[in-house]
Amino acid sequence: MRGVLGVFRELDAAVDAIAELRRSKAGAITVYSPTPRHELEHALAHGPSIVRRFTLIGGLLGVTFGYWIAIWVSDYWPMVVGGKPIPSWVPYTIIGFEVMVLVGALSTVFGMFAVARVPRLMMTVGYDPRFSDGDYGIWVECPPDREAKVTQVLQENGAVEVRRER
Amino acid sequence: MAVAARPVEEMPRPNIPSANIQLPAVRSYQQVNDEIIATLTPTVAWFIGLGIAITALLIGIGTWIYQIYMGLGVAGYNPPVMWGVYIITFVFWVGIGHAGTLISAILYLFRAGFRTTIYRCAEAMTVFAVMTAGLFPILHLGRPWKFFWLIPYPHWRFIWPNFKSPLVWDVFAILTYLTVSTTFLYVGLVPDIAALRDREVNPIRKRIYSILSLGWRNSDREWRHFTRAYLFLAAFSTPLVLSVHSVVSFDFAMALVPGWHATIFPPYFVAGAIFSGIGMVFTIIIPLRRWFGLRHYVTINHLDAAAKLCLFTSLVVGLAYLTEFWVAWYSGNKVEQEYFMNRVFGQWWWAAWIMLTCNMILPLTLFSQRLRRNTTWLFILSLFINLGMWFERFVIVVPSLSHEFEPWQWTTYAPTWVDWSILMGSFGWFSMWFLLFIKQFPVIAIAEVKEIVPPRLRTHAATTDINVSGQHVDYSPETPGEHE
Repeated sequence: MRGVLGVFRELDAAVDAIAELRRSKAGAITVYSPTPRHELEHALAHGPSIVRRFTLIGGLLGVTFGYWIAIWVSDYWPMVVGGKPIPSWVPYTIIGFEVMVLVGALSTVFGMFAVARVPRLMMTVGYDPRFSDGDYGIWVECPPDREAKVTQVLQENGAVEVRRER
Repeated sequence: MAVAARPVEEMPRPNIPSANIQLPAVRSYQQVNDEIIATLTPTVAWFIGLGIAITALLIGIGTWIYQIYMGLGVAGYNPPVMWGVYIITFVFWVGIGHAGTLISAILYLFRAGFRTTIYRCAEAMTVFAVMTAGLFPILHLGRPWKFFWLIPYPHWRFIWPNFKSPLVWDVFAILTYLTVSTTFLYVGLVPDIAALRDREVNPIRKRIYSILSLGWRNSDREWRHFTRAYLFLAAFSTPLVLSVHSVVSFDFAMALVPGWHATIFPPYFVAGAIFSGIGMVFTIIIPLRRWFGLRHYVTINHLDAAAKLCLFTSLVVGLAYLTEFWVAWYSGNKVEQEYFMNRVFGQWWWAAWIMLTCNMILPLTLFSQRLRRNTTWLFILSLFINLGMWFERFVIVVPSLSHEFEPWQWTTYAPTWVDWSILMGSFGWFSMWFLLFIKQFPVIAIAEVKEIVPPRLRTHAATTDINVSGQHVDYSPETPGEHE
């Protein structure tokens, strides 16, 4: 993996650089920012996160398991009271709800890690510790013949440092 | 008729919508990193505090060993009062945990700006409070090494759980709450741990932070999925806050005991839990912001907004107290009426009046804006709230069990030194974890604070500071809300 990394002090400079890089189809862009910013999100124009699917599936599995375990245990070891039906959905809703929240929350976190590609075992190229401090970074993965053009775009848009990495 | 103008310094501060609370003295992202990470350096006072906490914990552990050796009788149980300080303290600590999730999850969904600088502290408090609460069902056992018999799952010992029992719901609710709260805390911490990793120079600590940050790089892909996952976790945690203390209240409300068997219990417990948790947040955050020099992060405006929430929950709790009496009177049930008379004017009058004074009467002072913005009063009031909420659980547990249906069963209850030592040990356990936490991880969420700090721009540089009305102005130390 090789490309060019630009470091920006100002948010609007980074946004302008992203817009121009996207127009020039320079390569795959990764943006680093100390905090999530809508301006960057809009400039990159990514679709909505798919984490919601993990949440939905986890929640449905959880609520199903919660009801199932309560009903199965009641049927397997019945305690008949007043001739009433053995499984009772009202109290079992508490179990269903709690397990839904548990599995739904854990699957959301699992989904987030999976789609965000975390955990990352190695700090690969294209990162600088300044990006967790106050600066913005734009990493453009591109072949050697486009590196000069990308460098020029980054510099023209106010990058305080541009370097090639591989 | 002309009215004399009041001097400027005597004029009340404007009421600020909680969503608009800003940090006028925080000017850049680097400043956020510098000032918050600087709080991680241990100090002599911190070591002294940790020493006191560990000493209290050791006293509690020693007392517990004594109790195991001698039997549960040393804990002051007096049949039929077989629930005492341990169950009271269990409910107390579960309740303390509620404000953390309220502040971090519910206020997040409601976009209440004042949560940003206090939520990390409240969330950590939640996790450690629930960890403390979880000890008490085990402390309450005569043979604690068989604690796993309590876990309700179908197993080879043929002790099958009854899923219609509130005690089984309790296990599911508390364990879910602990797991989700811990996950929520950790997920929110990951970007901040990455910031610590990038600054750390000690190789061992850097390695530990690298592992804990999971290789987080602040990339757009990570933030996009992180913000969405955080939103869903908040959405899951919101009903969880309401459900957990409702389930804890079912431990009482499902029993046919005077004073317990009431449909008002779930909302009454939830409001009480949030109230007590906010009290504990004040107890922790007010000294912390002073010791750590973070008064320009947790400003008076933040405390003012939190105090309004405290006042609101106090009013709900007060209404619940009065409704209980009304229900007892209106029901025409002699046993219930006798019980409530005994609670307030009889055997347990002192406990009931501590509860009513601390939880219902003293918080009314928060109607005064001057007192809401007085940190000394807020801190003193928070201590009263902690005391009052512990006594609320005392008033719920003990008077009911000691004054049931049959007069021959009526008895009394007095906690022994064993109960008090273990109660003290629980505070030591909680404080120890909290003190260790605040020196390893940022006590204010770095990444989230940066979200409300105006970013550096090249096109226009006017948006550097924000006044109490949400307008951008130059910062000065006299900015309202900055210092008490």
